Amino acid sequence: MATDTENARVGEFGEVSRVRGIVFEYLSLGASVLGIFALAVLLIYVTIDAFDLAGASPLWLLTYFLTLVVPFLGFCLYSARDRALTRRAVAVAGGGLVAVAGAFTLIETVIGQVPRLNWQLTYLFVVIIPLTGYLVYMGARGRPGSVGFGLVGRLIGGTAIGLAFSVLFLVFDERLWFLAYTLGIVPALLAYAYGRRRDASAAVTAALPISILGVLLAVFVREALRTYPTTTFIYLWTLAVPIAAAGALAVNARGSRTAALAAGGVPLALAAAVGLFGRAAGLGVGGPNALLVVAVTGVPAAAYLQRVVDVGEGVTGLALPVLLVAGALAGALVVETFGIPTPNSWVSETFLTEAPSRNAREAGLYPAIVGSVIIIAMVALLSFVLGVATSVFLEEYTADTGLVGALTRLLQINIANLAAVPSVVYGLLGLGLFANLLGLGFGTAVTVSLTLSLLILPITIISAQEAIRSVPDDLRRGSDAMGATRWQTTKNVVLPEAFPGILTGTILALGRAIGETAPLIMVGAATTVFSAPSSLFSKFSAMPMQIYAWANFPQAEFRYGVVAAGVITLLIILIGMNGTAILLRNRAERGS
Amino acid sequence: MTDSTESPDLQRRSGLTRLKEGTYGGFFAACAVITLLTTVAIIATLLSDALVFFAEVPITEFLTSTSWSPNPRGGGQTFGIVALVIGTLTVTITAGLVALPVGTLTAIYLSEYATPSARSILKPLLEILAGIPTVVYGYFALVYVTPALKATLFPEMSTFNALSASLMVGIMTIPMVSSISEDAMSAVPDDLRQAGYGLGATKFEVSTGIVVPASISGIASSYILAVSRAIGETMIVVVAMGAQARMPAVQEGLFGVPFINPADTLLQSGMTITVAMVQIAGGDLTGGTTPYDAMFALGLTLFVVTLVMNVLSDIIAQRYREEY
Amino acid sequence: MSNTETEREAESDAADSLITTDVETGSNDRTATSDRTAVATRDLNVFYGDEQAIDDVSMEIPEKRVTALIGPSGCGKSTFLRCINRMNDMIDVCRVEGDVEFGGKNVYDDDVDPVALRRKIGMVFQKPNPFPKSIRDNVAYGLKIQGYDGDIDERVEDALKGAALWDEVKGQLDSSGLDLSGGQQQRLCIARAIAADPEVVLMDEPTSALDPVAASKIEDLIDDLAEQYTVIIVTHNMQQAARISDRTAVFLTGGRLVEYDDTTKIFEDPEEQRVEDYITGKFG
Repeated sequence: MATDTENARVGEFGEVSRVRGIVFEYLSLGASVLGIFALAVLLIYVTIDAFDLAGASPLWLLTYFLTLVVPFLGFCLYSARDRALTRRAVAVAGGGLVAVAGAFTLIETVIGQVPRLNWQLTYLFVVIIPLTGYLVYMGARGRPGSVGFGLVGRLIGGTAIGLAFSVLFLVFDERLWFLAYTLGIVPALLAYAYGRRRDASAAVTAALPISILGVLLAVFVREALRTYPTTTFIYLWTLAVPIAAAGALAVNARGSRTAALAAGGVPLALAAAVGLFGRAAGLGVGGPNALLVVAVTGVPAAAYLQRVVDVGEGVTGLALPVLLVAGALAGALVVETFGIPTPNSWVSETFLTEAPSRNAREAGLYPAIVGSVIIIAMVALLSFVLGVATSVFLEEYTADTGLVGALTRLLQINIANLAAVPSVVYGLLGLGLFANLLGLGFGTAVTVSLTLSLLILPITIISAQEAIRSVPDDLRRGSDAMGATRWQTTKNVVLPEAFPGILTGTILALGRAIGETAPLIMVGAATTVFSAPSSLFSKFSAMPMQIYAWANFPQAEFRYGVVAAGVITLLIILIGMNGTAILLRNRAERGS
Repeated sequence: MTDSTESPDLQRRSGLTRLKEGTYGGFFAACAVITLLTTVAIIATLLSDALVFFAEVPITEFLTSTSWSPNPRGGGQTFGIVALVIGTLTVTITAGLVALPVGTLTAIYLSEYATPSARSILKPLLEILAGIPTVVYGYFALVYVTPALKATLFPEMSTFNALSASLMVGIMTIPMVSSISEDAMSAVPDDLRQAGYGLGATKFEVSTGIVVPASISGIASSYILAVSRAIGETMIVVVAMGAQARMPAVQEGLFGVPFINPADTLLQSGMTITVAMVQIAGGDLTGGTTPYDAMFALGLTLFVVTLVMNVLSDIIAQRYREEY
Repeated sequence: MSNTETEREAESDAADSLITTDVETGSNDRTATSDRTAVATRDLNVFYGDEQAIDDVSMEIPEKRVTALIGPSGCGKSTFLRCINRMNDMIDVCRVEGDVEFGGKNVYDDDVDPVALRRKIGMVFQKPNPFPKSIRDNVAYGLKIQGYDGDIDERVEDALKGAALWDEVKGQLDSSGLDLSGGQQQRLCIARAIAADPEVVLMDEPTSALDPVAASKIEDLIDDLAEQYTVIIVTHNMQQAARISDRTAVFLTGGRLVEYDDTTKIFEDPEEQRVEDYITGKFG
């Protein structure tokens, strides 16, 4: 081919050989997907191991495929309303089945057994999962799809945030929070609301001092007071009520008063009922954490329901959660009735709620998950404040010339260099400065959080700077010309516009923090702890630390089971965080 | 509308307003200065303990001794960085052999060949490679890559080895090479490409003959950054490479030139600078012991090397920014 | 490059039609000058680095009149405008010499706070730049940053009425300012500028980004504004200057003020040959 065309003369101009070019193009395409392909293969294997899919009988796979996957894909196709797409999807699913099964039989007869893979699993990973991803993307473009995914997202996200909050109260004193909320925040909010309503600026101004006084009073009273309400009641009053009120206010702004009352009141009542009487009624769940989760999940979901029903488009999409739950239950029923062998998944309730153990089947990640959540919360707070403040300074408060200009350039170079310092060196900083010099303790939540905050600070700053830079200068000049001070322009114009971008960058940086291990080892975080930390200064572990510890275990059950489950848990949390960040960014881009 | 004859009040605002405005500015500046203090703190922390270390172990011994055994067991403690440097170089070079060509080709594909939609899919996927926690890569190397290589290509490979770890480090650093190189290639003005096509060059000739040379400083700077990242990489090697500081056997041979058999280092376990630090940290951290101080000496070495490489990469990158 | 050329052609076309049809100038019953001076400059020089943008300009701008600044691109008319409310301070390399007096006070004196100054002088930009906030919040912006204590809704309504926008938006004050059309956005920006009750309103080519119908609405509005405010407008459209202004200042290349007089005088019988050439399109 190559030599043929090289010498052939076609037409008047002749032809230049393209073979080298074509080979090069495919070579570079291959290089582009090489890393992605390698990672995909590894992820497939770790998924199979974590869920013990290799042990899943084909019947089990088929059952859930029919009860869960097929209805879900049907929903996506229904939402996309595209006949051509439906035909294509069916062709891909069918053709893929034949192709994978054929190729697999060929490989197994010619080369031999592929380790821990069969054609059913290959079909699942190579055809069904990418197809599902594509159909979700296409389905989300239709109204029912976007409504359904919106609702499911709120339910899952709400549950995750609710659980994360309940974890935080393991180390933070909920009684102090109760007092601070009751004595400081509520009076301050009341004063503010009153001031806004009656145009009494004195009341608005007083809100901040009131809150500070209240919090100080709370700290003072905390030890003196003997009796406190139950935790369930504290959560109800300090968390569920304000969340419900915020939801009701949001609905009130765009809908009727009745709708607002319903959107706030129904989830609140439900949360209170589950929290107070759940255990007694034999629901199996109850107590403060259940209350919190129901409130955090229910209020946004209710507000979303109200909006969807109000707009009246894609209401059918609201059936998606029902479809999924019904599918899962139906699958379970079939599996139970016919006695189909179920895979013995390593990712299980035990794994998520129990402490580590020598026995692989009893080992759990719970203390490490709690540790990670606490670190993330503190790192988020610290790096967000520091990152935004620094980027505001660098973008809004500096000049190009003079002393400030020189300082800016120095800071900028310094930040770029800090971003490239190896994380293990940050670990030494944490060890030398926070643990030893400041005496914050080896491997305590405080030491680790401070270290990781400094570690991701440069990334946070750089992305926040980009977000701030993308705010059009027109708006700044408009505000300046109104006689706004620099801070007023920043607060009223720049930060609201840059906020989604800043948030996205911060979440992505937090994703880095949640997976960091080396600095944790350096500051002496425990590889394994057997109970969840009870204060910011107690010894604690984090998910990657536990994975590191387990990876060294020689038993295959740990290597291929427990660690895989840990890796999958960590990756799911990471994907959840990064997915949220990307959704936020896309929404902000569409909005502007 | 005021209709007064007196001149308008343009005075500076009251002390309180200015104080408020100044407080915000001061707060932002203070936060910005924290980043500077971080650098100062890193250097101070590393130096203070490293100096204690060098008071006990002469710097010449540290830099030239080939034996690393920080824990006194039978024999004495020795702190020689050479074996660690060899381990680090093994990983860095092998990872570079993966990441640099693959990353460069990826950048060329993204910048010159890919359609906008292909680019919009590939770029975020590539970013995922850099976003996977390194401990997970280490686990992959130990549990999947090593057994696979052992079963197919290298039956004599040990459970902990440099090759699997290096391959994972290489995959992880691909996006670092590709994204910076692609930025540099995209910055090449279209005029240059048009000029090439005008002379009858093919796309291949334009890509390799015009775009790559024109963006060579950006590509070089991405290489340096990727290598610096590989040098500082910790968890992959800790999990997958083991912790045995080894000096590879120098073989007599080939026309009288001594050489090291790559298999000798790649298929065996080894120890990098970062692994040595983690190993000490896994033990006693209360301070005051020589191994504790040695950790900071190693950290200082790492910090200086990566800092120099970053500054170098920055200087090189400046060149292509100035060109256009 | 080609852009400025077409601009110039458009201008000269405009000028031709102006001369041949002898458009009526200053179509209002105001006298061209007033008793009081709102803004005055003395020996004003502005430099961007080494380049001089304004060359020794002294002029007095009458209160409650419309004063137009015209001239070819790059003649310094926008720079001059931005000296009045010290927006040039934002540019690091910009250096101002000489006096700009506002209400008898030199705004470049050390004790003058540019922020306080800008609260007395409103500004409208070439491209409409409403904030991505509700219409109400856009108009109330100036009041809020000044800590205004009274009835904000009333002032918002007054300002929107003053900007001839009230009837079009009164039902949707809570919707985003970005949802309005270009002309409405520009009137919103004018409402925003006058809501804080300034004494002077600066306009930097406020109609150049708008279609002719929207532009003519703004022109009508400018005429009304002059009853309450001193309006200083930069325009490259000479017909517009002739239609709406009471006084016209002609800047030519190098930032020199060549002629400054009543608009009628400038367009009918300019003193300077260069000004006549510019207005008739012989010199761009």
